[in-house]
This record gives sequence, C-alpha cells and structure tokens, in this order.
Amino acid sequence: MHVKRRAIPKVPTQIAGLDQILEGGFPRGRTTLVCGGPGSGKTVLGLEFLCRGAMKGEPGVFVTFEERTEAIRMNARSMGWNLAALEKAGKIAIIEARMPGEEVRSGDFDIQGMLAIVGGHAKRIGAKRIVMDALDVLLRIYDDLKRERNELFRLHDWLTDRGLTSVLSVKTHRDDDHVSQYEFLDFMADCVIRLDHRVVGQVATRRLRVIKYRGSGFGTNEYPYVFGERGIVLFPLTTAELTHQPLGSKVSTGLKGLDLMLDGGFRRASCILISGNSGAGKTTLVSTFAQAACRRGERVLSLNFEESKEALISGMLSPGIDLRPSIRAGKLLVQTAMPESIGSDGHLGRTIQALDSFKPDHLILDAISACLRMGSEQAAFDFMMRLISVVKERGITSILTNQVNSEKGGDEELSGIGFSSVVDAVVQLRFIETDQEVNRQIFIVKSRGSAHSNRRQSYIITDRGIEFPDKPQPPPVRAKKAGRKDGRK
Amino acid sequence: MSKSPQSKHRARKRQRGHYLLRLFMAGNGPNSKQALANLRSLCQEHLNGRCTIETVDVVKDFQAAVRDNILVTPALILVAPLPRVMILGNLSDFPKVLAALRLSGSES
Repeated sequence: MHVKRRAIPKVPTQIAGLDQILEGGFPRGRTTLVCGGPGSGKTVLGLEFLCRGAMKGEPGVFVTFEERTEAIRMNARSMGWNLAALEKAGKIAIIEARMPGEEVRSGDFDIQGMLAIVGGHAKRIGAKRIVMDALDVLLRIYDDLKRERNELFRLHDWLTDRGLTSVLSVKTHRDDDHVSQYEFLDFMADCVIRLDHRVVGQVATRRLRVIKYRGSGFGTNEYPYVFGERGIVLFPLTTAELTHQPLGSKVSTGLKGLDLMLDGGFRRASCILISGNSGAGKTTLVSTFAQAACRRGERVLSLNFEESKEALISGMLSPGIDLRPSIRAGKLLVQTAMPESIGSDGHLGRTIQALDSFKPDHLILDAISACLRMGSEQAAFDFMMRLISVVKERGITSILTNQVNSEKGGDEELSGIGFSSVVDAVVQLRFIETDQEVNRQIFIVKSRGSAHSNRRQSYIITDRGIEFPDKPQPPPVRAKKAGRKDGRK
Repeated sequence: MSKSPQSKHRARKRQRGHYLLRLFMAGNGPNSKQALANLRSLCQEHLNGRCTIETVDVVKDFQAAVRDNILVTPALILVAPLPRVMILGNLSDFPKVLAALRLSGSES
C-alpha cells in the first residue's frame, strides 16, 4: 500500500547541513526534542536556532533551567551572535528559570508560574520560536515519574496551543536506564534528535542522529558535526551522491603537454588524483595548475597538510613557479594545518568554512596520504569522502595528491583509503633514480568521461617548471562522445 | 482580595507578630483555590487574624512572578516577619506549613 505523504510545514533551522537531513527543518508549531550527553552541544543548537530565527525576523524565547543568563550570552558571543543586541531589539528573550531547591513543599503544585512568565515574555516579543534548555532540571522538582509526565504533557499542550515551534533539550546519560526514564518524551515530540559526543582514537567526534520525525522523511545516518566559527556545521552525506554536479568543461592543467595527453585538460567539477612517490613532482604539478588558474582569474583554495605556506612558496620558486602574485591578488588561498591538530571533523569544518567564504573554483589538497595522521584510516576516509562530496556538490574541481612509497608509483596504496569510486581521474607520476640519471614519467591511469593518452611520457623539472622533452602524444582514438552519461567507466 | 495590603501592613508594622503572606496563584486552578482556602483557615485558626494575605495571579501579572522568581504555583512567601520563607504546593499539610512558618507549638 502506498499512501502519498502530505508535506508538513517546516521551519528552516539554517544550521549548516541540518535542514538537508531534516528535509526542510523543524516541524512548524510543533515540538522537537534534542537529547544528548554533557558537552554534546544541545545549548548551542538551540541558541543557533533562535539567533538565526531572530535575525530573520522570527523572535524567540530561550528558557534556561541550568545555566545563568550571562553564561548563555557568553556562549552565544563565542559563536559570533550578539544576544544582548537581539534582546534589546526585542527579538530574543532569555528567561533564567532557576527551579526551587530547598523550599518547603506541602501538597501538589504545578508549573503554571513558569508558563505565565514564559507566556508573558513570548507575548511581549511576539515569539514564534521557543527553546527550553535542560528540561530535565525542571522535571527533577517532582520525585514522581507520573507527575513529571503529566506536567510535560501540560507543557506540550501549552506550547502547541500557542503555535510555537519548540525545541526542548534534555540531558541524557550513557546508561540506558536513565534514558528510558524519558521515553515518553520521545513519544510526545514530533521530531527527536540525538546528539552523541565520543572520543575515538583520542580524537573527539560528535554525531547527530534523527530518531524520528512524525509525518516527514529524514536522513537516517549518523552525521558528524563540529562547532564552527559561526555555529554548528553538519556534514550530510547520504544524499550527496545525487546532487553532484555533472563533470564540466575542460580546464587546462597549466601544461600544454599534459593538456594534450588529456584531450584538452582536466574536467571541471571532477576529482583528480595525482599519485606518485617522493620527489616525483606532485606539488610542482598542482602548483603549475594553481598558477595557471589564478592567471585566468579563477580562484584556488590550496589545503596543505605537509608543509607551511612559506615552505611551499619558496619550494616552488626553484622550478620557476611564483605563487606570491596569485596570493596577493586574492586568487590563491593557502591554508595549512597539521593533520593531527584538530581531528578530521575539525579539518572538515575549517575547510567548509573556507569554501563558503573564499568560494574557490578549484581545490587542491596536498597530500591525502597525510590525512591518515588525523587519527585513523576511518577518520581520513570520512574526511576525504565528505570533503569530495561537498566540493562535487558545489561544482568545484578537486585535485588531490597522494604520496606512495613504491618506486613504481601507482594507486595500489590508495585502496587503504578506499575512495577510488569518487575519483574521476588518476594521474600517475614515477620518479626513477638509476646510477646514471633520474627519470620521471607521467601516465594517465584513468580519466572519466574523456579520452586520454595511453603512453608513459617522460618529463623533466627545470627552473622553468615541468617540461616534456618529447612531444606528448594525444589520445590514440578520439572518444565517441565524452564518456557515458553517468560519468562512470 | 485584600486591598492595598502593603499600606495596611505598614500601619500594623509595629504590631508584634503580624504576618504578611503573599500567595502566588495561577488563575482558578484547583491547586490555587485549595491553597487559598487552606491559607485562610490556617490564618484564622493559628493567627487569630493577625495576618494579611496578599494574592497574586501570575496569569494576570507575570512580572510579579518574574520579580519573585515564581516558577511553580501555588507558592506562598512569608514576607514578614523575616526571615523570608517559601512554601510550594496547595498547603494541604498543615503541620508542615505551620513548622515552616515558625508557628508550630507556640500559638494555638
């Protein structure tokens, strides 16, 4: 039986990646439950939802049961949101609800007082959204599970009656007993999100999972997220494959000879792997590409995990590539980092922010072999898959270098990271040292959707860059029509 | 309810053993109604009218709830004599309320 789903109204959260996972946002006028352990980012998620709404003209109330108002303001400030200004403008109201502690209790009571306060503020600013942070603290005033449940249903009705789009956060602990105590919460809310904060291979990782979404589809995977400079950044991957831009037109490699071998060059929006052993000239090759692209007025983001910006610039001067004019012109952005410094999620967050702000046409990553130092092979794989996915969605060409140890070169060591399915072209560099001479060869292993030379071509690196002593040979037979439609070989 | 309890209280300020009690209620909820009834009978029986009951409806005046940080209702605050005491609930447990108001044992 197939029943067609009617789309329920949603409020975009504008939290990077979350709306994609939630297929649009939180359910409008309904309750979303966010649960997670300490430090998982429940407060930040709620704050971001409110701040982004307030800036867009949807005022909101933030009720904090645990932290002080000033702590909340500081928390927001560290993400670059000026809560005080939004409060002043009547866009946000923060209510510090310190629940009674040692007061004498005699007979039954309820949370009408709190609802009156919240309702008063909500009316004053015309709130459309509300976040109740650390609701578990509120529930603790009752020593009675049944009573807790009743109050929660009362709260839920109250919120729903007012048509507020609500986010309730609840602290959960690892042991399952404690979680099951709040099972009815899962039942009550229309959307349930679980945040998980764990340490794998000494690197902190955070994962978000949508448990349920009444009346809506949602991404069912666990999604990594980080705290970026401007809030939470999530990395949805599942649907990414479907939204990849098709491979674009040809883009020059910066080398006439290599362009000839590739039937015109790389394809835009494709992922190119330059593989080779140490000394083969991988960095020289990608720097040649970067320089040529920048001279054409295109923008290149270069991620360097192996050497500093200064070392890269001075190292490239000897084969005659001066990257400084491109950097000065704002066409080339070199971002360097130690792979082990911030974990793969951190690197991904930083890179995506650079992609957002710099908006490059091309991305260079030198070298993916260093990504293994991000913690584990799995971490490196996650980083690469998600990064390539993001750049492909945006139609950015990505050129990755990979250091292999064998003299033969080749991509056999690639299988370790195992993402060859997303790589569109592989260029192999070989550096062979004999008693008499050094010999370098370039070979196109594959180039999706394009004809390419099937020869090993010798090249030399001079102070004028990479040169081909023998004229490179074009592809043997012209391809019928740029590959198959789906771009697969 | 009592009119201008503040000024009335001021007039009786020097009167020893006079109680000012502020009861926070939420509309006409059953707990609120019961708390008020309980408080009235308690005043009559144990204070012989030496008390002023001030009621605040948080639904009508949320700012008052903000001022005294009243999150649950009904809630009773003993404003005077000091020290201040807060009692939550519908006040159905008389001995407990009396003890909290420092009235158990002494008055009758």
